[in-house]
Amino acid sequence: MELLDRYLQAVKKHLPSRRQDDIIAELRANMESQLEDKEAELGRPLTTGETEDWLRQMGAPMMVAARYQPQQYLIGPGLYPIYLYVLRVTMLLAIMAYAIVSAIVIVVTAPGEASVVAAVARTPGILITVAGWVTLAFAAIEFFSARFPEKFPPLTELSGPWSPSSLPPLENDGDTFGKPRSYAHAVAEVVFGFILLVWLLLVPHHPFLLLGPGAAYLTASPFELAPVWWTFFWWCVALNALQLVWRCINLLRGAWQHRSRTEDLAIKAIGLIPVGVVLLVKDSGYVLLKNPAIDGARYGATLESINKSIHLGFVVVCVVVLLQLAWEIGRPMYRGYLERAATR
Amino acid sequence: MTLAENLFENLRLELRRGCLTLAVLVELRQEHYGYTLRKDLAECGLAIDESTLYPLLRRLESQGLLVSEWREEEKRNKRFYHLSSDGEQMLGQLLEEWNSINASINTIINRTL
Repeated sequence: MELLDRYLQAVKKHLPSRRQDDIIAELRANMESQLEDKEAELGRPLTTGETEDWLRQMGAPMMVAARYQPQQYLIGPGLYPIYLYVLRVTMLLAIMAYAIVSAIVIVVTAPGEASVVAAVARTPGILITVAGWVTLAFAAIEFFSARFPEKFPPLTELSGPWSPSSLPPLENDGDTFGKPRSYAHAVAEVVFGFILLVWLLLVPHHPFLLLGPGAAYLTASPFELAPVWWTFFWWCVALNALQLVWRCINLLRGAWQHRSRTEDLAIKAIGLIPVGVVLLVKDSGYVLLKNPAIDGARYGATLESINKSIHLGFVVVCVVVLLQLAWEIGRPMYRGYLERAATR
Repeated sequence: MTLAENLFENLRLELRRGCLTLAVLVELRQEHYGYTLRKDLAECGLAIDESTLYPLLRRLESQGLLVSEWREEEKRNKRFYHLSSDGEQMLGQLLEEWNSINASINTIINRTL
């Protein structure tokens, strides 16, 4: 019964992750027994409308799941799931807004390690302030709705009548992989993704961030990087920005628990573009001489060797990523083929 | 919902909360899984929501008053609960308390009428 599966899936999303499978298995067994009794009484399966009425009677998924949560006193169990949802969305929006503003300010005004460190150091304070205001607002709602229910109806009533038909469709398990992630893990990925992006944007101005003390060699050496590295660099920036946006969208959609296979494959496939850009460079001209007329005779052989090594390195990377992609695309297809063969 | 209705609902819930726990403990002297337990309680006139009963069973189990096991019945895996030895001891104490409160309330009602 698809509607029951969708209902249980929606309940599961609001349950504590370490107990959700066990709770859902028990809830399913009880609900299926109840359904059997109802159908035996009627002598026919329930219609969609009757099933919706039955599920509506069970309660909204978030509220059903809330009963399995520990009791809260500052914010009551009825309000707590909504508080948690609003807190997550607000903090995520706050960190995104702060990240965008900070990145623009740093790049435009004073690019430097000190600015990045200061921006990162301010983040916990901002998150705590946002969380504090949200908590305070919800504590006030709880306080007033308990004392003046005629003036402050529960938030659950403000959201309008709940319908089982509005439940999200069943997720395609075939598109997910890996162990389920916690919300904190997913948020940490966004935060570190943002830090990585800022670091990446600072590297052209401060090569020290990438090369360490070796950055001094860039000025002293007779070699310089070819313009292709700028193309490669901006592709890397775009790829990281895309990944960051994708993760933020997943967080806002509430789809952070499982990694999407499609997303993973898309990122790996797009990741091949900068590698391809480098491989297509004519005559492997990745590193050039600053003064070919003066240094050509002395460093010509070294230059050729460096460029060949870089080319070989990128060929190896390209082959490894291609093999990985082929394996990840082919494996589920092969499994599907085996399952189909087994059912024949 | 008016303030009076809200107050009544809160008091009714508070009053029922302890009674439901007691009824569940009494009923689980015999083994049940969630749905049949709910049916038995409803037949005795004590209807209880699924969303209240099933988390309550979990809570009582985590407090050591119930024990449970997954078992297959009628081609379906179900979680069966019954009273633990600690639960039996606790039930004895709670029934004593219940009878004492009941007797006191009756005495108070009769005296004030």
